[in-house]
Amino acid sequence: MEKHVVKAGQTLVLEYFILPGESRDIEVEVELAGPGAALELRGLYLCSSTEKVSIRTLVRHSVPFCRSSQLIKGIAGGKADVSFDGLIVVAPGADGTEALQENHNIVLTDTANVRTKPQLEIYADDVKCSHGATVGRLGDEELFYMRSRGIPEADARELQILSFLAPVIPSGRREELEEAVRKTVNGSRQDSL
Amino acid sequence: MSEEKKIIEQFTSSEYKEGFVTDVEQVFVPKGLNEEIIRTISALKEEPEWLLEFRLEAFRAWQQMEEPRWGHLDLPDIDYQDIIYYAAPKKDKDRPKEIDPKLSETFDKLGIPLNERDVLAGVVAVDAVFDSVSVTTTFRKTLEEKGIIFCSFSEAVKQHPDLVRKYLASVVPVRDNFFAALNSAVFTDGSFCYIPKGVRCPMELSSYFRINARGTGQFERTLIVADEGSYVSYMEGCTAPMRDEHQLHAAVVEIVVEKDADVKYSTVQNWYPGDSEGRGGILNLVTKRGICKGSGSHLSWTQVETGSAITWKYPSTILKGDFSSSEFYSVAVTNNRQQADTGTKMIHIGRGTKSRIVSKGISAGYSQNSYRGLVRMGKGADGARNFSQCDSLLIGKNCGAHTFPDIQSYNPRATVEHEATTSKISDDQLFYCQQRGIGQEDAVGLIVNGYAREVLARLPMEFAVEARKLLQVSLEGSVG
Repeated sequence: MEKHVVKAGQTLVLEYFILPGESRDIEVEVELAGPGAALELRGLYLCSSTEKVSIRTLVRHSVPFCRSSQLIKGIAGGKADVSFDGLIVVAPGADGTEALQENHNIVLTDTANVRTKPQLEIYADDVKCSHGATVGRLGDEELFYMRSRGIPEADARELQILSFLAPVIPSGRREELEEAVRKTVNGSRQDSL
Repeated sequence: MSEEKKIIEQFTSSEYKEGFVTDVEQVFVPKGLNEEIIRTISALKEEPEWLLEFRLEAFRAWQQMEEPRWGHLDLPDIDYQDIIYYAAPKKDKDRPKEIDPKLSETFDKLGIPLNERDVLAGVVAVDAVFDSVSVTTTFRKTLEEKGIIFCSFSEAVKQHPDLVRKYLASVVPVRDNFFAALNSAVFTDGSFCYIPKGVRCPMELSSYFRINARGTGQFERTLIVADEGSYVSYMEGCTAPMRDEHQLHAAVVEIVVEKDADVKYSTVQNWYPGDSEGRGGILNLVTKRGICKGSGSHLSWTQVETGSAITWKYPSTILKGDFSSSEFYSVAVTNNRQQADTGTKMIHIGRGTKSRIVSKGISAGYSQNSYRGLVRMGKGADGARNFSQCDSLLIGKNCGAHTFPDIQSYNPRATVEHEATTSKISDDQLFYCQQRGIGQEDAVGLIVNGYAREVLARLPMEFAVEARKLLQVSLEGSVG
């Protein structure tokens, strides 16, 4: 398990980038231990076969005036099994906390499973905490819009996936991702045929 | 700060006005739980053999089970051998048909009219349950004309054994969980309701539960069956006397919704919450579940939870029929040392099923308030959709608000959305109100009511009025 302690005034950036073929079990605990400490956690996964991805995060706001933001987005195709289990704990007295946690998923195939548990435990009152989670599919209307403008289906799906993942793509890894997305889209199309 | 203290003191001394005890002669079975007790209860209720077997089987299953401890609750140890499992007011032999005036008085005091003439023409039919027995059920005649069966559970066992046998434990199996098994073994009374095909129930049906006797637990069982194309709105209310001991309330509610039927289930839970130090209060550990069996069926849960020392309750819906839908609207208020772990489960099985969850938690004082929910999209739930929103409002420095949602999707054509926020009443809002001459207390009431409005608006009218008042009282003086 990874464990980080962030001191006053520091900002910790964590990035997870998981491409097809890679199974990962991530367990990370971050403690915001001094006023002004901040965490930015971004995660991306793209699964197209039998990967098992499990992400567990525990963010502790132990003192006042810390910020944390977690944004985790991913695509589950093939027979992938994806789970996210996040917990934010705001200690008594940690006023002025701002904590955000989001996990969004797109499922491509009947055989992929997604489970998500975005959890909050809050013991202080002057806080701004929010979390959100979605599990859905690629929108048919967007696809239709693009296809009616002459964009081939595969390209349109690629664009949809890329734009969905855009906020969490680490700098300099875009091309790598585009390639992987192309393969995933072609793969899942063959599955459905 | 001293102002804060003063206000908090004011609140903690504020009264639980349903906390009185009715002095009436009662029949008890001895303390403790064993097969003999279960046989005694069954005999007292003159039950058929199959029901006794059902109880005994449940009891044996229960002995093998363990108390669930996964809730975000500090559950005190419960001594199951130190509870009286059956308590009933003594029947007066001279007037077997009439209600004991003292009981009538009790329910009058609680605002539950047992005499039909006292009620505004045809508004609500009530089944009143006092400790372990149903005292009376009103408006039976009017309902019978439509073919609606609404009576106490014990009566249903005698008069409609086929229906009861068919549906009992069909939604909440005996082995479902520890408290459901316990209830199946020792349940005493509750309401039974059957709405026949195509009938729209002309009035609100309601059960009122009252715990009175010391050292007892209440284990009621409610079964609602809505046949094809029928409609019913059902309400449930509950109160208990103030005592410095914990009392156990482990109920089971089962709802069966057939094709195109529509059931609306509302609860205003106001059990005694214990005193400001957390002494006493009801342990409210209940299992409520409905099944949308047929296509196009609909089940709606609305709950306002203000009472109980501990609440452990997850009204759930199994969406089995294609295109069936369900809603869960909840306001849970905790103050002082109260603890609540409540939420819902939406199990999507059928195609095109839809569900919506709106949960508003309000915690004040030293209380802990958790939302726990499960949304599951099964393999066959094509085009299913869920939207959940759980907001928490914190009032004061020492309380806690928690959210534990669990989303499981096994179908790519299903959509699940969940969002939650946690905040406190903003100083700006308070300032705005106070600047316009609205006192602090009233301002908080106003803001909280606005915050919970979406849920309160779903309650039947009589309940909505009560719920609004309850919110106000529950939060009195909790602003710091």
